[in-house]
Amino acid sequence: MSLWDYVGSRWQQLLLDSWMHVSAVVQCTIVATALGVLLGVAVYRSPLGSALATALTSAILTIPSFALLGLLIPVLGLGVRPTVTALVLYALLPIVRNTIVGLSGVSPSVVDAARGIGMSRFGVLSRVELRLAWPAILVGMRVSTQMLMGIAAIAAYAKGPGLGNVIFSGLSRVGSANAVNMALAGTVGVVVLALVLDGCYVLLGRLTTSRGIRG
Amino acid sequence: MTATFSADSGSRRAERLRLLAQPIVVLVVLAGVLVWAFSRDLDDIEKRNLNASTILDLTWQHVKLTITVAVIVVLVAVPLGVLLTRRWARPAAPIVLAVANIGQAAPSVGLLVLFFLFTGHIGFWIAVLPTALYALLPVLRNTMVGISQVEPTLIEAGRGIGMSATAVLRRIEFPLAVPYILAGLRTALVLAVGTATLVFLISGGGLGVLIDTGYKLNRPTILVVGAVLTASLALLIDWLGGLAEALLGPRGLR
Repeated sequence: MSLWDYVGSRWQQLLLDSWMHVSAVVQCTIVATALGVLLGVAVYRSPLGSALATALTSAILTIPSFALLGLLIPVLGLGVRPTVTALVLYALLPIVRNTIVGLSGVSPSVVDAARGIGMSRFGVLSRVELRLAWPAILVGMRVSTQMLMGIAAIAAYAKGPGLGNVIFSGLSRVGSANAVNMALAGTVGVVVLALVLDGCYVLLGRLTTSRGIRG
Repeated sequence: MTATFSADSGSRRAERLRLLAQPIVVLVVLAGVLVWAFSRDLDDIEKRNLNASTILDLTWQHVKLTITVAVIVVLVAVPLGVLLTRRWARPAAPIVLAVANIGQAAPSVGLLVLFFLFTGHIGFWIAVLPTALYALLPVLRNTMVGISQVEPTLIEAGRGIGMSATAVLRRIEFPLAVPYILAGLRTALVLAVGTATLVFLISGGGLGVLIDTGYKLNRPTILVVGAVLTASLALLIDWLGGLAEALLGPRGLR
């Protein structure tokens, strides 16, 4: 069976796996963004806090994903819970790092001006600082999404959702006619979806960046 | 800011913190877990998998794979990166980077499985090649970035005092690019250790074997020891990479 025949006959399953893959990655990126921005906002004014937050999240990223899954399985069982936990943890570093970089890049005179016209501390943060830092945060989310696309494939080992299942099925059918087709469909599928998502980020950046700082 | 994987924290303070704290935390946790595991009543299966010789064997396989990958990556990516920044090769650079970026988006597990299915072989080199391919990009990209960020005035000055193009490359451009290359190498090491954890899938050995055995035979002790060993090894290798970054850069830039 050629790759096209295989994809033609299994497209419903492949589409479902693709959808689950993207859906898991996007949802985990959103959760990680909420956590990461909160963490970034909490520490960006303290050099020691910033160093601690980035050191910790970058140490997490160093841990091989398969080892982290191994540590999570005895605690959280199989399926969605270890997958989501691992993906969110891995997505944190780029977002936290870029939130801190973005927020500390806001010029103090802008913040002073905002305070001067009577904005509250929260108003300055939400209406001035975070909006100026948004392009940097978005780049962090983009990096995280790209990483998660690959890591999510490994999560299929812990019965997680997505295209990783197709790859693992291919591996377990070594020698059968469809083994290569399955591994190929899963791998190429992840690459294509990652590129599509990357394009979405470019679009999202155009649409959500404040008019004043749009390039 | 580049839109690709890097385990670098991007902050000097955070790096110093990691250089100091990381090995201590890792060794303490590792020692704790090993003491916990070996002080338990292990059954037959656990004893067969959790003994000094098995653990050392698997760790050595893991380290050997990582080192081999790192050597291949340096030998291929650095010369290739230098070549692509030469004037006559510059038009090809964006194409090579685009291909490499797309390759990076491929899941490592998919590359390993495909390589195994295509060749139909198992063994050390079948595990090394896809891993090296996967870890190549950070070093390649950083070599190119590192060399192209050298100020043109410095190159001009070098040529002005009579240095040949090769001498400018060897004595000005390359040394100034070394910090970037080392940062790329560190990322490559992290990717290599991570991918080496998966080569058990294609009978390539490594510490992933312990995690897999613990999971399949439902022995959480083996699973946890395997996972903690793998994580510790990755953090220690990353620490060595950080140390190299801090110590090996040209003295004038430190």
